Amino acid sequence: MFRAIWDNIKGIYSLLVGMAVTWDFFFSPRYTIHYPRKVVERENLENYRGPLELTRGKKEQDQTRCISCQLCVKACPGHCLKVTKGKESKSPESWLYDFSLCCLCGACVEVCPTGALAFSHKVYMVTTTREALILDLLKDLKERVAETPLLVEAPDSTASQEPSAAVVKEA
Amino acid sequence: MDLSLITFVQILVAVIAIICLMVANAVVMVYVERKVAGFIQRRPGPYEVGPWGTIQAICDSMKLLAKQIFVPANVDLVLFFLAPVLAFFPVLLLFLPIPFGPYLTPWKTPDGLVLILAFAGFGVLSNLLAGWASNNKYGVLGAARAVSQSIAYEIPLMLALMAVVFQAGSLNLSVIVEKQGWVPWEWNIVTQPLAFFIYLICLVAETNRAPFDLPEAESELTAGFHTEYSGMGFALFFLSEYANMLLVSFICATFFLGGYKGPIIDGFWWTIIKAYAVMVFIVWIRWTFPRVRFDQLLNINWKWLLPLGLLNLWITAIIIKVVN
Ligand code: SF4
Ligand code: SF4
Repeated sequence: MFRAIWDNIKGIYSLLVGMAVTWDFFFSPRYTIHYPRKVVERENLENYRGPLELTRGKKEQDQTRCISCQLCVKACPGHCLKVTKGKESKSPESWLYDFSLCCLCGACVEVCPTGALAFSHKVYMVTTTREALILDLLKDLKERVAETPLLVEAPDSTASQEPSAAVVKEA
Repeated sequence: MDLSLITFVQILVAVIAIICLMVANAVVMVYVERKVAGFIQRRPGPYEVGPWGTIQAICDSMKLLAKQIFVPANVDLVLFFLAPVLAFFPVLLLFLPIPFGPYLTPWKTPDGLVLILAFAGFGVLSNLLAGWASNNKYGVLGAARAVSQSIAYEIPLMLALMAVVFQAGSLNLSVIVEKQGWVPWEWNIVTQPLAFFIYLICLVAETNRAPFDLPEAESELTAGFHTEYSGMGFALFFLSEYANMLLVSFICATFFLGGYKGPIIDGFWWTIIKAYAVMVFIVWIRWTFPRVRFDQLLNINWKWLLPLGLLNLWITAIIIKVVN
């Protein structure tokens, strides 16, 4: 009987502790970032796994490392990749990626023998059609190359769109 | 009790004013509740609609007004539409005997508390009808829970209020306020701390709010008794929930916190400030504690609140007898 009463008093004390916690939280700063007016800092996106992108070659930094071996196409559970081999060389002619089917499982990144694939850190991606989600990764690579032609001479990776995962792989 | 024309007109005006108060209260409280919830969870709450999201609640109510009332198959149509109405309108009556200010009492009746306690049961009746009529297993379970919870918690609630009534020697709410002073240590919360504690717990349970929101426990019963309601049917339940909250907060302010008495000038503003302080406290509790289990809920009541309430009443009676 007395033990039960004592337990209840302790229980009520624990309720007060809980209320003190929420009281503290009420007056602490908020974490939310109001998207269109502010964006997340890049350091906080380093481990974000966005849509796939092609990494750059070790020597030819404007080229993809892809050798069109089709391993990623076979490994993908969602059948979202379509790699067409080029006529003259092994490097691909087109590299289509349907983001609407991708589950971001990473099977393609693991299976690629040359490390040609990586997850990007693109958070802000908005489309109104499904077709716009079929991404042409070669075109995307070309755009990035046009932005920062050489990665070694511009190691400021926060400015470039190059994923850090690929940089680590290269090292 | 003479129901002359003047009393009738007075009550009519009061009822209209109370309807306005209830709707305005719901709009304000939805905003306050979502803001407090957000701040406690370290996010900003409503933000985009209007400055700091202030017109979010109005937009939501517009949406509810425009929504279709979907009637599922095999419902009991009469009861299905009667239940939300029954949930909303009896609450109006309960505001009548509350003294908002020294002169601002809708209906000065000597048996105010009896009126409140008698009609308080209507809320749960409407929950029962809603759950039963909507031909839904979650609805029936929610209704059953609502009834057993309400039966359990109305007893300690009455016992707690009775202790105050013993002390004041009257069922008239104005007299109860008049017996308290304007400084906090002259309020009933000091003379009746145990009754206040019991009332605070019962108040949360009576209004079916977390941590005692078992009749509408989302994770177990989707939405409990109002699962099948949409549009204005749902909106009426929603309004009545906030109106009930407002009512118990006003009763709490009247019985324990000195009602309209306060420093500088007595007036309805003190009642409203105190009542809203209680409301914010209820919201704070909701976003702090997890929901109790049903057996725990009944154990708290039958094993602790009821004996404590009886003990408190007994001690109060003895002290009053000795002092007199
Ligand atoms: S992450 Fe998974 S689903 Fe997406 S493309 Fe790669 S293998 Fe396919
Ligand atoms: S597995 Fe790698 S190299 Fe092979 S096709 Fe896919 S991206 Fe190209």
